[in-house]
Amino acid sequence: MIRRLVLMVLFTAVPLPGQDHVDQCLQCHQTLEDEPSTLFIRDIHRLRGITCAGCHGGDPRAEEMEDAMNKQTGFLGVPKGDEITGRCVKCHSDQERMKSYGSNGRTDQELLLRQSVHGRLSVSGKERLVQCTTCHNAHGIVSVKDKRSPVHPLNVTATCASCHGNPAYMRNYNPALPVDQLPKYRTSVHGRRNARGDTRVAECASCHGSHDIRSAHDVKSSVYPTNLPATCASCHSDSVRMKPYGIPTNQYESFAESVHGIALLEKHDPGAPACNDCHGNHGAAPPGVQSVSQVCGTCHALNADLFSRSPHKRAFDQRNLPECETCHGNHSIVAVTDRLIGSEPPAVCAQCHSPTEYPAGYTAAMSMRAIIDSLVTLEEQARALVEEAEQKGMEVSEQRFALRSVRQARLESRTTIHAFDKAKLQEVAAKGIAAARDIHVQAQEAIDEYYFRRIGLGVSTLIITLLVIGLYLYIKKIESNGQQR
Amino acid sequence: MMNFLRQTYIWLDERLQLRDLVDFLGKKYVPVHRHSVWYYFGGVSLFLFLVQVVTGILLLLYYKGSEELAFESIQFIMSRVQFGWLIRSIHSWAANLFILAALIHMFSVFFEKAYRKPRELTWVTGMLMLFVGFGFGFSGYLLPWNELAFFATKVGTDIAGVVPVIGKPLLEFLRGGPEVTGATLSRFFGFHVAVFPGIFTILLGIHLLLVQRQGMSEPLGLEKNPSLEQKRMPFFPNFLLRDLLLWLMVLNLLAILAVFFPWELGQKADPFAPAPAGIKPEWYFMFMFQTLKLLPAHVLFVDGEVLGISLFGLAGILWLLVPFWDRRSARGEQNRFVNYLGLFATLYIILFTILGYLS
Amino acid sequence: MPETNPSGGKREFLKVLLGGSFFAWLASVLYPVLAYMKPPPQAGVEVSSVNAGLVSDLPPDSGRIIKFGTKPVILIKTASGDLKAFDATCTHLDCTVQYRADMGVIWCACHNGKYDLTGRNIDGPPPRPLAPYRVTLQGDEILVSKTT
Repeated sequence: MIRRLVLMVLFTAVPLPGQDHVDQCLQCHQTLEDEPSTLFIRDIHRLRGITCAGCHGGDPRAEEMEDAMNKQTGFLGVPKGDEITGRCVKCHSDQERMKSYGSNGRTDQELLLRQSVHGRLSVSGKERLVQCTTCHNAHGIVSVKDKRSPVHPLNVTATCASCHGNPAYMRNYNPALPVDQLPKYRTSVHGRRNARGDTRVAECASCHGSHDIRSAHDVKSSVYPTNLPATCASCHSDSVRMKPYGIPTNQYESFAESVHGIALLEKHDPGAPACNDCHGNHGAAPPGVQSVSQVCGTCHALNADLFSRSPHKRAFDQRNLPECETCHGNHSIVAVTDRLIGSEPPAVCAQCHSPTEYPAGYTAAMSMRAIIDSLVTLEEQARALVEEAEQKGMEVSEQRFALRSVRQARLESRTTIHAFDKAKLQEVAAKGIAAARDIHVQAQEAIDEYYFRRIGLGVSTLIITLLVIGLYLYIKKIESNGQQR
Repeated sequence: MMNFLRQTYIWLDERLQLRDLVDFLGKKYVPVHRHSVWYYFGGVSLFLFLVQVVTGILLLLYYKGSEELAFESIQFIMSRVQFGWLIRSIHSWAANLFILAALIHMFSVFFEKAYRKPRELTWVTGMLMLFVGFGFGFSGYLLPWNELAFFATKVGTDIAGVVPVIGKPLLEFLRGGPEVTGATLSRFFGFHVAVFPGIFTILLGIHLLLVQRQGMSEPLGLEKNPSLEQKRMPFFPNFLLRDLLLWLMVLNLLAILAVFFPWELGQKADPFAPAPAGIKPEWYFMFMFQTLKLLPAHVLFVDGEVLGISLFGLAGILWLLVPFWDRRSARGEQNRFVNYLGLFATLYIILFTILGYLS
Repeated sequence: MPETNPSGGKREFLKVLLGGSFFAWLASVLYPVLAYMKPPPQAGVEVSSVNAGLVSDLPPDSGRIIKFGTKPVILIKTASGDLKAFDATCTHLDCTVQYRADMGVIWCACHNGKYDLTGRNIDGPPPRPLAPYRVTLQGDEILVSKTT
């Protein structure tokens, strides 16, 4: 391959005898040894037969400079601003033309670029922020697969960083955007492998796209929270691609079923964590065993805090157990239920606290489960009674209101459990249990009232019936008296 | 005990000449014939009105007639006040039964031509009381300030706004502004607990006085046929006791309805919410509502609604003045035209009410 | 009334029946009416606006939950003395929020949700801000009402 390229460069550098026309522009400029002509020798365009005039206009066959670079006959000079992209697009957006050069690639790069975040106007207001040449260079353009290309996987990070790593430059466009993506990237698994020459790991364009780069806040962006898992999965779910690295490929499936995945992908809650929220984005790496709770704790702060103070913290660290993950899993974290605590599966406590080895922990788990169970049962009973009273047409909005505090205690108890302290749990649960008992009594009173109304009606109906009978007999009596008279 | 009662009676009699009253009532007789049963509906209407007065006053103890508190105060009455549910349900049920009893009373009087001379004024006061009764119903319907009532009032006052010439001022007068708002509620509350009871009481006084003075009317046929043996019964105590007996049964019926079919409160009115499906007026307005709905938009260059309302107005006036144009009955002759007219009105009301509930 | 009925026992029975059932009836009517007139323990209803006590009773940089009909509302007096009120139902899972002077935020104990003092959800799981209520002063009395 390299040999062929060198040969081609040699062949083209020296005009071939018998070639029907000679590129006079290149000939003169080569003698000047200027940069454009030096680079253009290896340019893919020249290799496909496009001369300087293809972009700059003018007459490449004219011997005299005045004729070759005559503006009257179509010499365009050095294009500026959007004109640059305009020159490229003349061919690159024309499918037929590209085919004639043997390319079946895409022809929508300019359209994508215009819609991308780079399609904004630059500070001058006269041109777009990014032209084709910004990333691809003007002369010496080679295939993206060529290691000399600025957009080759091993080079693209530096190309992007030439602007994105420059605080003074980035301040012009998005002062809040960090400029440390490349250093961070170099700490990531992707970045370290990339630095070692692995072209299959993710670089900037793998996640952000190339021509169609959009802001991470743009819902169409490949790194918008709800799109991000699919973007990561495009490589990480590919078993062929992942084979050399020996890592699993089921993370996306697990995540999609998890409480986080459902929130993010089904409910489209952008606040739910995507891959990067736990693994980092540019500095992507799996969180460390001892720091899992800190990572989860960015959102689940109270749980993490309680856990870190609990006796489990030291026990987990000693045994090198990942903190939250040991009980909750990682990608496939499902919505928790109270059944996670206790002695029988799906409860997780007995995984370590076997009744024989660690009986204290085992009984503590059982009694904590019992506290929560009694709270749940009391809440259910109270709720059922309130509903029954409501169905009977009784007014129980007060009790409905009070049910909130029971529910709150139940939710709080699920947080408090992470302290693994029975007394603390009891304290939280007691509030809810007391409230549930009150509601129970009041709802029962409402139901009793319902029956009282019916009994009351029965009694008064009986009384009225007796009175009616009495009156009837009385009327009969006075009327028979009247007749007797 | 009996002695004490007797002495009290004597004490009162010495000052008020109660004996005259008892004698008068004792000499008053109620005719007994196969149509006698209709006589009781006047009494039932009176009883239901008294129930309304009592329960209405009780409701006033806790009801708050403002946009913010009306709904909540009824909710409060129904849930927190002892027997509040009973009082409120009885008030609502008795209101409907009152209109029903009054309508039956009115039609029975109409068909028996009991309005004929000399009882024209009794008829007129009775009809006016029925109209005030409709007013009671319409104004009382809004007072819980729930969704259905809110929109029914909106529609009802809208219809009043179509009345030719005075429509717009009338609508604004009823609503207390261009829209149904808290101002409407205040107004309706005032009508319901002050204006209408006042008018009604005066009319009722005249009505009862006239009934007592003139006695019960007898159907035309009986009067003309002296050969038939006329049965009669003393008003006091025989008829009055029967009245009481029936009243007790009605009271029991009210209690049963209140316990088994408590009057619903629904959702609080929200002026900005879209109108719920199936807004229906109270059943006794249904035939008019349905007629206006079925009328085409334009009948011979006249707006359909305007025409409907004008016709109903005319019919009402005609009905009110029947003793004055039905000369034949006044002379004691049969008047088939009036019979057919009454039959037509009855059938029309029944048919359109049914249609209204079916649609 | 003269004794004309020979069967005195029957007459007595009727008397007892009439008198007894009449008084029973009277009681069955009067009892509900009298019970109705007895004011219930919590007098009246207030819902579209609630009296939340005196300004002087609420120390600065503190909050209090008040009952607004069947909903809890949190009333806050900021360190600078401004009064604010919000729906106290957390938008995450319907727990009741509280004011945390140490953090200077409205805080939900269930999942550590935080709202700033304009009711905006700033941290934790809450998906939406808290709905504000209007606070007006009548003399020293705080009146919380719905914003319309």
